Order: sequence, then C-alpha cells, then structure tokens
Amino acid sequence: MSERANLDTGASWTHPLYATLEKLPGVSLGLASVDDLLAWGLTNSLWVFPMATSCCGIELMAAAASRIDLDRMGTIVRGTPRQCDVMVVAGTITVKMAPRVLKLWEQMPEPKWCIAMGSCAISGDFYRNLYSVIPGIDTVIPVDVYIPGCPPNPEALMHGLLRLQEKVHARRRGEKVDRDPNPDLIRVTQPAIPRVCERDLGRNDELSKLQADQAGRVTEEQMCPAVDVPFEPPPPATPVFAPDFEGLLRELGVAVAADGPPLVPVERHFEFARRLKELGYRQLVSIVATHWLAGTGRAGKEEGASEHLEVAYVLRTVGPGSRLATWAVRVAPDQPIPSLVPLYAGADWQEREQFDLVGARFAGHPDLRRLMMAENYPGHPLRRDFPIDAHCAPWR
Amino acid sequence: MLQTLSVERRVDPHLSIDKYDPEAELLLLHMGPQHPATHGVFRMDLYLDGEIVVKAVPYVGYLHRAVEKLCEKLTYSQITPIVDKNDYVAPMTNEQAVNMAFEKLLAIEVPRRARWIRMIFAELQRIASHLLWLGTFTMDLGGALGGGTTVFMHSFREREMIMDLFEEVSGCRFHYNTHTIGGNRHDLPAGWAGRVKEALAVIEARISEYEGMSLENRIFVKRTKGVGVIEPGLALELGLTGPMLRACGIDHDLRRDAPFHAYDEVAPRVIVAEGGDCLARARVRLGELKESVRFVRETIDSIPEGSINGGRPIKLPNSIKIPPGQTYVGIETPRGELGTYLIADGSANPYRLKIRPPSLHALSALPYVLPGGTVSDALAILGSVDPIMGEADR
Repeated sequence: MSERANLDTGASWTHPLYATLEKLPGVSLGLASVDDLLAWGLTNSLWVFPMATSCCGIELMAAAASRIDLDRMGTIVRGTPRQCDVMVVAGTITVKMAPRVLKLWEQMPEPKWCIAMGSCAISGDFYRNLYSVIPGIDTVIPVDVYIPGCPPNPEALMHGLLRLQEKVHARRRGEKVDRDPNPDLIRVTQPAIPRVCERDLGRNDELSKLQADQAGRVTEEQMCPAVDVPFEPPPPATPVFAPDFEGLLRELGVAVAADGPPLVPVERHFEFARRLKELGYRQLVSIVATHWLAGTGRAGKEEGASEHLEVAYVLRTVGPGSRLATWAVRVAPDQPIPSLVPLYAGADWQEREQFDLVGARFAGHPDLRRLMMAENYPGHPLRRDFPIDAHCAPWR
Repeated sequence: MLQTLSVERRVDPHLSIDKYDPEAELLLLHMGPQHPATHGVFRMDLYLDGEIVVKAVPYVGYLHRAVEKLCEKLTYSQITPIVDKNDYVAPMTNEQAVNMAFEKLLAIEVPRRARWIRMIFAELQRIASHLLWLGTFTMDLGGALGGGTTVFMHSFREREMIMDLFEEVSGCRFHYNTHTIGGNRHDLPAGWAGRVKEALAVIEARISEYEGMSLENRIFVKRTKGVGVIEPGLALELGLTGPMLRACGIDHDLRRDAPFHAYDEVAPRVIVAEGGDCLARARVRLGELKESVRFVRETIDSIPEGSINGGRPIKLPNSIKIPPGQTYVGIETPRGELGTYLIADGSANPYRLKIRPPSLHALSALPYVLPGGTVSDALAILGSVDPIMGEADR
C-alpha cells in the first residue's frame, strides 16, 4: 500500500506557474484570482482516457455519442494516455490485462484521476472469485470516483464525472475533501456470486475463509434448496443423425451412444474427420474438451472409470438443410490426439484453446501454445480438480 | 519479402519470422491490447516492411473472464445473467443460446408466443449491433469520412432508440436477463409494437443516409474494396459464420438453414455478397440492417397470443436438475453462429458448458488476410471483422 500513497498525488500537487508567481513581489495579491482561474480551467477540461475493456465501454461510447454528449462538459475522449487527465476504467480487468493498465496509468501526466466505472472495475463483481480476474481496479491504481452499476447508465457516468469535477475543484482550492473509501473494506464487505459453499472450502485462502465466515458458511444444500422440479423428467433422448453421418458411423463400425456423441477410437479419428469432410461437412464449428475425474463419466457416476478427457468435435454442412455431425474421442489426460489442423485451418485456435484450458494434447499441431492464459500460467483452469480461484497472485 | 504478396498461395501463419527475407529490415509493431481501433482488448504483433504487413500474430485472452468455469459452479437458472456479458453488443442472443440448450436437454416445448418474441428480440438486437458496427467501422476508417466520428454520432442516435425499446421491456439498457428456461420473463408492454414501428420508420429512413455516407462514398470504397480478401474455402475451414461467411459468397444462414425460434414460420431474406473483402462485409451488414428492419416491421403484428413461459411460474426454482446428456445448439447472431455445447451430469449445475464464439473464429482469419496490406488496411480489416472480445475471450 506504500505505492498507493506515492501515486495518489491529487492533494499535494501545485501548478508550476503558481510556484513561479508566488516568488514575485506584490503578485501574491492577484494570486487568489489566478488560482480561481486555474481551478476553473482544470475542473472544466477533464479529458478522458477510455480504459474500456468490456460492456461498460459500450456505455462509455454511448455517453460520448449524440444523446448524452459528454463534450458539453468539457470532457473529450482521447485515444492516448499522454493527453488525458482522467482514466475511466470501464470493464473487467483480468490478470493478463492489469499490468498493462498500470503501465498506461503511469504514462498519464500529473495531475490525474481515475474513475472505476461498473461493478467489475470496482470489485470484480461476480468474476471476483475466478482465477483470471482481479478483484477491483483499486488493487492496482488509486481510484477517485466509483460508479456502481452493471453497466452504469450514461447518466450515471455523467453524474460520476460531475462528482469528480467537484472533487478536483475542491482539492485545487485547498478545501478538505472526504476521505477516499478504504478499498480493503470494499473488497471484504461486497457480496459476491458465487457464494462460497462447503465444497469450495478446501482452499487455504484467507480471503475466501473470511468471506465464508461472513456468509455464514452456506452449504450446498442451502445454496440449492431441494424444490420439487416442476418439469416432468424428459423421455430418454434418442440421438438423431443425418443419414450420411449415420451411414459413415455404420460403415466404420462406431457404436451410437444414447448419452452423448458417438465415441470414435483415437487411432481412427483423423480418418473419420477426413471422410466427413469429403461428405460435405466443410465447416468446423467447435471443439470441446471435457475433463472427467476418476470414477465419473458421461452418466455422472461411473464405477471403475479412470481419469480421462473426452474431446467432442462438431462439424456442419453449409447451405439450406444444414446438418450437424458430432463425435467424441476418449483419451487418457496425457494421451495425444491427432490434430485436425491439416484438414481444418480453424482447428488451430480451437485446439490451442482446449490445450490451454483443459490440457488436451494434440499431436501434429504446428504451434500448440496457450491461447487465453499467459504463457507461463501453471495448470489448466477448466480441469475439474482446478480450484476456481487459484494462481491469481498477487491479487489473492 | 518471400512470403508476402502471394495471392495464389495461402499465407502460412505458422512460418517462423526467421524464414523471411533477412535483407529486409522488419519492424515489429505491437498493436493493442489498448488501442482505440482494436474494439476492446485485442493485441496484434505486426511485422512490417516499410508500411506493408509481412506477418501478423494475434493474441487474445486479455478479457478471459473464466465464464465457462463460473457456469460450472452455478445452477442452471443463475447462468442467464452471466452469459449476458459475453457478447455485450447483442446480449439477448447469448441468453437465447444457453437457454435453448437447457430446453433441448430437458425436452421442454417453448410456447409459440415466446418463440416469436425471442425472434423479434433477436432481430432488434441485430439492428442495434449492426448500427454499432457501422459507427465503429467508419470511425476506424478515420478522418476520410468527414471527421471520423460523423457516422458514429448518427448511428448511435438510432441505437439509443432500440435501447429505449428494450429498457421498456426489461428495465435495462442491456444485460436484460429476460429469457428463462422454457420461455421469457417479461411480456411485451401494451403499445410496444406501435413504438417499435415508429422507431423503425425513423431508422429505415436514415439507412439510405448511411449508405450514402459509406457505400457511395468514394473514399470509403477505396479504403475497403479488395482489402482483406478471404477466399471461400478458407472461410469454411476456419469456421467463419454470419456476415463474414456470407460476404465470401457462401449462402448460409442458420435462420433459414437450421431454423430456430419461429424462423420456420417466417424467414428473413439472406443477404449474400461476392468478393470476401471489407466492402462485401459492409454490404452484407448494411443489407442485413435493412432486411431486419423490414422483417420486424412486417412480423411484429403477427405475434400470436398466449403464454410466454408455458404457464409455469415466472420464478423458476433454483435447483432444476438436467438429466445426463450432451447437446449442441447453434443460433445465428449478428456475428454468426453462437453455439452452446452443454454436458449435463444429472446435478443442478452443468458439468461443462462450452460457448462457441463467432468472434474468436472470425479473428482467427486475421493472420491469413493481413499480410500484404498496409497498417491502415489492417485497421479496416479488423473493423470489418466486428469482433466482440467479451465473447471471443469469455
């Protein structure tokens, strides 16, 4: 927190012109009016740097657009931090993005202010307990005004800017300004979704424990009370396949499963995909890898099943009467699967994503790097045994 | 400069930079993750020879909010407001995509009125989304279009009208949380259809203005024609969908080809353009804007009477349990096919929920199309892709 004190400069900052004038004899009489002028100018020309990452950024755009028109308050949105006075952090800040935000903040000239727009920027909102999101931008840079909402209306943003103008003006005039809210306090007292329940308490995490104590140790039963489900249990779904896909399944002797896509042996998987492409399934829709712990499987509990990955592929034909083809491959966690990149260029990023998040290995992929997380990130977040808020240092 | 300007051969995005001409003095330019033209937090590493892009390496993940992990911890009825934030320019389509997957595994029939309302909502979202695209795309093209923000100011004026209509229905400007499993949460207010038609009449009259400002603008055409050409075969392999695919001359639209909602009863015309360049993509989106306005205006009076959620209480219990099974549901959103792959294991939480984002697939085309163009072309191409990073990174 020591950096915070150094960074927060609003109270101690004086204009160089002020210091020069003060030394001249007799000028101090006119200083009061010059001071007024400077305060007026500083207050009414707050240029905004839009640190817009997500949804709140759209409302920031809407505020700058024709209906609300922030320009009439002397607030112009500029694209470079070097010209700006106010950073509006609009949107979720992730672990990967936070160092960049700090860097941009350091590039802004003094005096500078920060507005946290929206609940993600204030506290992380419901992403706060997740492995990739930081719990509020005030853990990185000092914040002057918090604008709650998800997202706040453009009117709320305007209100926040007016409050900031009051603050800037008062500080410039040397008046006492209300103390900033303690960000630590906010971080602890804000309720969060998902609430921590018993099964998540395996973590040795101070903050999580604190939250759990405050939430009164919600058990899973309390969180999801047993209510009579109003829906009748559906009839067992019979898989419906396109005729050509079904023909191929029959030809290759692949069994049709009722509880998921047909399982293709890993050694015939590439051949299967090639045949489908010849049949007209030219569009790669999706690749979905799923991690199953030992003892679990498609039906929920599966006695004797070892830990495994199931990678499902979805293909589509284009044009009227579009047909879907879905199949899956079941492998051990470290067993490589033949990559589909030679057939479908789009498999490149899809396989990288599933490698990154689930840890599926793809043999023959030209460039199997992480896609979402940082290069040096430990572990694969979408594995079932991965704690939901792990490896998020230094934020928790 | 060995790899670049080859039009016949497909660019190899995995070719190491060491394989390029060692004589050329390549400049590495990091564009993003914070750049006014990257539409959020997207980063490209551009290797430049002069002003020509030789190799482009995109990086995503700066807005990876772990939505899929979060969904595994939530009950089914809690998921709708979470996925709202994925594609934050057309949030209702996210809600529809996940709830349709739940409904499919639960084998629930959605009432006809609810399906019609969903269809009207989806089309209005398409109008709002394409208006936002128009504003930001022309802004990306820069001062050539009369000050850069001119079209932006115009199109946001009309977008606010759509926002007002949705605010009236659900109380929110976006992140509506208006779809539930088995139907909708909010019924249409009295007189809403009339106000929709009033707003659409205004928008329709102004679309020709936009066309004048963009498609008939010589500078606009010069900046976009022949820029960022994607060949149809590559577009299919990459899984491009929506306007990106239709701009390559491929006639594919899930609203007609795999109908959902009420599109099996009435279907909008499919807009296709030839060329695969930025101009074609602009033509498709402006055509869809016009077509959606016409479609909503003509169908909004035919919304059938009836229940909006199957006669069940609006507040669903927190513990709907979906029996074990796997399903994939794909719907057509303003950006293309938004899919949900759902794996249920019989508990009250999904075991795995994979969202298939059209934006991520669209962005994966960039390393193929950027080489050979200039830096200003790169921005035009990125704008014409219309990526929403919340959805691409999730």
